[in-house]
Amino acid sequence: MAAALPHHNGTTITAAAQNPTPEPKPITPSELRSEFSHHDPTIARINNGSFGCCPATIIAAQRRHQLLFLRQPDDYYFNTLKPSVLRTRLLIQTLINADHVDEISVVDNATTAAAIVLQHTTWSFFSSAFLPGDAVIMLHHAYGAVKKSAHAYISRAGGHVIEVHLPFPINSPSEIISEFRKTLQIGKSNGRIIRLAIIDHITSMPSVIIPVKELVTICRDEGIARIFVDGAHAIGNIDINVKEIGADFYTSNLHKWLFCPPSAAFLYCKKSDDDELSDDLHHPVVSHDYGKGLPTESAWTGTRDYSAQMVLSEVMTEFVSRFENGIEGIMGRNHEKVVEIAEMLVASWGTEMGAPPEMCSSMAMVGMPTCLGIRSDFDALNLRKHLRECFKVEVPIYYREVHDDCSTTGYARISHQVYNVVEDYYRFRDAVNKLVEDGFTCARLDLQK
Amino acid sequence: MAADDDENPKPGSNYITQSELRSEFSHHDPTIARINNGSFGCCPATIIAAQQRHHLLLLRQPDYYHAKLLKPSILHSRRLIQTLINADRVDEISIVDNATTAAAVVLQHTTSSFSLSSTFRPGDAALILHYAYGAVKKSVQAYITRAGGHVIEVHLPFPVKSASEIVLEFRKALRTGKSNGRKIRLAVIDHITSMPCVIIPVKELVQICRNEGVDTIFIDGAHAIGNLPIDVKSIGADFYTSNLHKWLFCPPSAAFLYSKQTSDELMDAATAWMGTRDYSAQLVLPEVIEFVNRFEGGISGIMKRNHDKVVEMGEMLAGAWGSELGAPPEMCASLAMVGLPICLGVKSDLDALKLRRHLRECFKVEVPIYYRAPLEGEVDDSVTTGYVRISHQVYNVVDDYYRLRDAVIKLVEVGFTCALLSK
Repeated sequence: MAAALPHHNGTTITAAAQNPTPEPKPITPSELRSEFSHHDPTIARINNGSFGCCPATIIAAQRRHQLLFLRQPDDYYFNTLKPSVLRTRLLIQTLINADHVDEISVVDNATTAAAIVLQHTTWSFFSSAFLPGDAVIMLHHAYGAVKKSAHAYISRAGGHVIEVHLPFPINSPSEIISEFRKTLQIGKSNGRIIRLAIIDHITSMPSVIIPVKELVTICRDEGIARIFVDGAHAIGNIDINVKEIGADFYTSNLHKWLFCPPSAAFLYCKKSDDDELSDDLHHPVVSHDYGKGLPTESAWTGTRDYSAQMVLSEVMTEFVSRFENGIEGIMGRNHEKVVEIAEMLVASWGTEMGAPPEMCSSMAMVGMPTCLGIRSDFDALNLRKHLRECFKVEVPIYYREVHDDCSTTGYARISHQVYNVVEDYYRFRDAVNKLVEDGFTCARLDLQK
Repeated sequence: MAADDDENPKPGSNYITQSELRSEFSHHDPTIARINNGSFGCCPATIIAAQQRHHLLLLRQPDYYHAKLLKPSILHSRRLIQTLINADRVDEISIVDNATTAAAVVLQHTTSSFSLSSTFRPGDAALILHYAYGAVKKSVQAYITRAGGHVIEVHLPFPVKSASEIVLEFRKALRTGKSNGRKIRLAVIDHITSMPCVIIPVKELVQICRNEGVDTIFIDGAHAIGNLPIDVKSIGADFYTSNLHKWLFCPPSAAFLYSKQTSDELMDAATAWMGTRDYSAQLVLPEVIEFVNRFEGGISGIMKRNHDKVVEMGEMLAGAWGSELGAPPEMCASLAMVGLPICLGVKSDLDALKLRRHLRECFKVEVPIYYRAPLEGEVDDSVTTGYVRISHQVYNVVDDYYRLRDAVIKLVEVGFTCALLSK
């Protein structure tokens, strides 16, 4: 495998060698609109974070792969499938600076990746390598499905789950480091052994960048044997350097910020001297290649449509490369834009951002006016629905519990991706200002039922 | 199968024409004689288009799609499946990616990766057929063996002359398996085995299992739906799975898992690791029902004609090659095992694979080949060791099978043996 250039125009040497085409023409605004013309044009789509997006060029590439399979599936299975997924794995290896392609498996999504790691931990409990009362530490703001998985796999195996409560709103990464260290100390205080740490790279709700490198170091210092970073939102959103981060496992979704269709993700598993660990990771769906290593097991989990996993090459060469500075450029501009817009919104509403710009990725948490009266998760959901139905604005809202009447309880998580235009955010700004003008409160939504 | 008027076309209505049928499958490689519907199924152009519509609906406004459209669409598919298999309640039906996934869910549930309150204990046993699908066998190894369970494999005869041979062997193996006072927690029984392919008398085997105190019975009907009628109540198992993309025209991939007693634990287990994905393949059943109703007799008509045709083709091939079918017609669904001439020298699984590739590359015939090892006492060169598994689906034409027939005759003529194929 040739050494990779650091993110030069989003392509790698390998890709360039395989596709010796001239430099792609920069994408024009009109072409860009065309790439996303399948998006509902009536909606201000400010929620790339939840489901991502897929350009028309990539949808077409996916269809080509699908038809290839349907045309002669046996031939595809025997001759095309594995080389195609290998191509994806090689690209990911480059993007995240992993040492070996064997460290990269492609799975459906970050939730499945988490389950692979957690299932491994369950077997450790079963075989008594771990003992009842041993613990797993994770963030309180960890993604819902991962929390559910952790409790399903760990608690029921006799393990203990420690949740780290992080402050929000937040002023700097050091607050996170401090809380994490404190909770870790308390967690270990009764001689409890912490076997696994699950740390988000970018939390989902509320969304902030977590200083994973520092937290991983703390975990190592405290003797935690295995560290899993859940970077579901990370790839295509912020830089990922798995060697620098130093975790044992890292996952991210390709369909959120890296333009793949639903759904595909990778799980990075650091090669260790401890063979027992790497030999013993298994995909929950067992098929013919069981026991041949996780990358191979993951490449075939029965007859599936694997096409979403096959198009990363086209993403890099046919789409990302048409943007100035490729994926780096896209990430940089998304971040700048989302911060600029967040500042515009908080100025207009008289509120504040939930985190400083350096802790925002291509997403930002923007305080909602307190007069809107968001007093529960249910209110947040209802308000979101109201914004969608009455103002045609799609944006998720986070509810934060407080014990006073003047603190901000609602935050909008705004995203910026290449298809967004400033009008999307003006519409949101104006919608909220209108609600405030009308004396709207979430309590009113309840009464309408 | 429910004999619901809405699901069967009225007599005299516009049945699909030959030309429309060819058009529906014009995306298939036209140079290949595609005699292997059993492995990966097929998907008509109309259904591909329906899937793409769902896909675009998702991409258009995914938040709205997930909030409002997805669940009702999946529910609609689940209701259709409920009807097709005669289940009592729609909450007995979940849709998963494929039968392999369903097997993993059932096995996890049995060995309770999720609950220490399970009754499964090291030393307990699971029973599977020796001919169980390879992936399922590995799943049993991954979950049962690893949890300290013992695996009993029931060896069934092949070639086979009647269902009663299977019932007999099964009963024997079950008794033997229990003989050390071992508790059999789970029986996994194929409805139609994959290789070699025969219909298993599941209703009788389930009854035997119940009589012998087996805790949980899981029917792996991966091939079954759209291939033969399924009545889960009559079969009486605890779990039943089948792929919708093999014989029921759905795109890759979707399967249902029927569970007689749903439990939160089972659903938690199922959802804990799946996460969001592209569900479009699971949502096109309404369009599939429309498609099958363009055929005379609907899905029942399709199944019957496939069966009749595959038996006819099987007998034609056996006649041409001087060989025999591996099972009688009543044990064949839309697939049949046809003996290959002994002189071809299929002497291992690898030979079978290589011969299959040779047929694909040199004769453009796609058909899987099964290697049947000689039993002790059988004289090596007088026993059929290679069988082709031929399928018949609506897109097949008689010429596909003539090509296979002639390819094999040619191989015999030129004195071909598998030993000649390079590694």
